[in-house]
Amino acid sequence: MATMHCTSRALLTGAFGSAFHRSSTLPPSFLIPCLATKSPASPFSTSPSSNARKDGNPSRGVSALHHTGPGKRQKLRSITPSQLPQPVRDPERRTAIVTDPDHGLWGFFNKERTSMPTPMDLVNHGRGWKTQELRGKDWEDLHRLWWVCVKEVNRLETFLGEKRRVGSMFGDFEAEGRMKVIYATQKAIREVLTQRFYAWENARVAAMDDVEVNLYADPEKGEQAYVPREEPEQLEADANEGTLLYSPPPPEGMNRGPEVRI
Amino acid sequence: MATTAAIAPFRVGLKELYLPDFSVILHRTPGLPAHNAKFTVPLWFSKLDLRDYLYHAYNVRILSVRSYVKQQRIIEGDPKNPRPQPNRWHRPRAHKHMIVELEQPFVWPEEPEDYSAWNREEVKDSEAEQKKYGELMQPMGDAVVNEERRKSMREQAKALLEGRLKWKPTTSRSVGSMLSR
Repeated sequence: MATMHCTSRALLTGAFGSAFHRSSTLPPSFLIPCLATKSPASPFSTSPSSNARKDGNPSRGVSALHHTGPGKRQKLRSITPSQLPQPVRDPERRTAIVTDPDHGLWGFFNKERTSMPTPMDLVNHGRGWKTQELRGKDWEDLHRLWWVCVKEVNRLETFLGEKRRVGSMFGDFEAEGRMKVIYATQKAIREVLTQRFYAWENARVAAMDDVEVNLYADPEKGEQAYVPREEPEQLEADANEGTLLYSPPPPEGMNRGPEVRI
Repeated sequence: MATTAAIAPFRVGLKELYLPDFSVILHRTPGLPAHNAKFTVPLWFSKLDLRDYLYHAYNVRILSVRSYVKQQRIIEGDPKNPRPQPNRWHRPRAHKHMIVELEQPFVWPEEPEDYSAWNREEVKDSEAEQKKYGELMQPMGDAVVNEERRKSMREQAKALLEGRLKWKPTTSRSVGSMLSR
């Protein structure tokens, strides 16, 4: 039952019955304020209301992301709200989205493009690259190999993330084993580059003191970085070349026993 | 594989990073539409970094990025360490997630029908067994009731009282039996 305000004219007319309709009988004087259509209203609380949230933004509360629909102050002049297209809520009635086979995000998956590699697939790997094998590679190859490793790690972490979501299955140990091989390869790459840098740095430091090397030479202008100097002691060095490593031969007349081979 | 465009669709940064040591993880998000993808990125990553990374490493173009940092709950000890480390309370590092709006939609491959290749049933059984055993290790372990043993004891007692079974002294086969002659 709906509550009616005490100033309701209908309520009062009902209460007084037919007597009210007669113009001759007037309501008692003490009830005249009740018959006023608009009674003075005052809030229950006397403390001032804060208008902190009233920023005057007409789009306040309207969000496309949260599907609120147009607000009361949003005026659609081209179409009426009833003409607005309705979203297809039933998943079966929606058009199926076809993923591009060349999409870049396939890089996060294995060759078979399954949601998760099996432990048998994960264990199917060889050993990592060794430092000796990588020493002959140039920067471009090493850089490319590094990124191959990075993408494989991303693939494995994606698998572990999906596995965590599904829960309760094997695959941790196999993925970890595969990652160790990748980290070994990355470590070898870093080692090769470090050794290469050290060799270059040592050469540079030695070249600074070397008289024959001109570090400020500009190869584009045709200047030579290495200009060997001729030395007068070169002839003596040639005669003794190769003999310094070995001991001098024994004198000619020496009595060598039967067991001496030389 | 599609080749990377010569010019990026956004202003590329000047700082070049070689030999990166971090990983970016892609997640399955059934609640999000196909044009969205969610990544877990390093904590120091920015939205611009992710846009650059996805474009240069994976040739994926995006329209927008939203990011949030998820704080981890306080834990005791190291979860990887099998040995329990009580009272070593700490909060692990937070995770940063970024949700990206893709230019081209991407739908994750279907989940496998059965997880037999990953031995899911075996792991579930072992986890249930571990949980049961773990309950006994808790401080209230001695309050845990073994219903099977209770039932067996009840049946044995009933059999004894009814005369179906006759009580016999237990013959222990351990070393102690030699001493207790």
